[in-house]
Amino acid sequence: MPIQLNKGVIGKESPPFVVTVERGKIKEFARALGDANPAYLDDRVGQASEWGDLVAPPTFMTTFRDGGDSGEFLRELGTDISRLLHGEQEFELFRPIRPGETFVCRSKVLDVYEKTGRSGPMGFVVRETSVTDNTNEVVALVRHITVVRL
Amino acid sequence: MKYSKIYFDDVKVGDELPPLVKGPIQQIQLTRYAGASGDFNPIHQDDEFARAAGMGGVFAHGMLSMGFVGQAVTDWAGATAVRKLGVRFAAIVRLKDIVTCRGRVLGKSSKDDVNLVELEVWAENQRGEKVVTGKAIVALPTRG
Repeated sequence: MPIQLNKGVIGKESPPFVVTVERGKIKEFARALGDANPAYLDDRVGQASEWGDLVAPPTFMTTFRDGGDSGEFLRELGTDISRLLHGEQEFELFRPIRPGETFVCRSKVLDVYEKTGRSGPMGFVVRETSVTDNTNEVVALVRHITVVRL
Repeated sequence: MKYSKIYFDDVKVGDELPPLVKGPIQQIQLTRYAGASGDFNPIHQDDEFARAAGMGGVFAHGMLSMGFVGQAVTDWAGATAVRKLGVRFAAIVRLKDIVTCRGRVLGKSSKDDVNLVELEVWAENQRGEKVVTGKAIVALPTRG
């Protein structure tokens, strides 16, 4: 019997969480990708750039996590981590981000739906996170589709 | 040339990005990416867990491949050029796979002094199977 996802989570907003971008985290992330771009790694190149500092790679905001129990959301959804696959991901970036900046992230579940594909019934959980800076400007929108093997 | 400055004026529809070859994927890179990204799903680390989950063994984080695609785009357009990057994860990347990231210019537009280039982007494995497909929009400077 396939599991049933709880569509009651549609519209649910997670508590906002605050992240501060750390210089070392940008470098660690770029190195983990094997990306040697000096704009992410070389402080002097950053300082000489039009942004005055290092910038983060375009997928860096995947590191923005609330540090809480992600299992709690999965239990409410009616699944567990072993059934998850990453379906789609999108970053809409309105400006580069730099070390020392602090942002507020707000996540919302936009949709939960099911489809049957080649490999059987699948659930899709669509979430969006807005990232705002300390002047309340939105610097990025991050959209995420998780696939659940039902 | 890598990190050379590219101008909006010089880009033509149909132009291809220089391919970026990554891998072979090793377990240590998945462990390193887990630490850097904060995604500690054991399905990317623990072969026994991944087999029990019906996945036939560990596989790479989708976000690692997306990061590779992002690198192919920023190597060409510059580290701060990306306005949008969106992908679908089409197939799983396994250990020892070689991932080649590619891109092609789909269109150009200019509005209010912002010059945007739309790209089709994708990554394929050593068998030519697409593992990531998507689109990117980059803002580029003009000459003069």
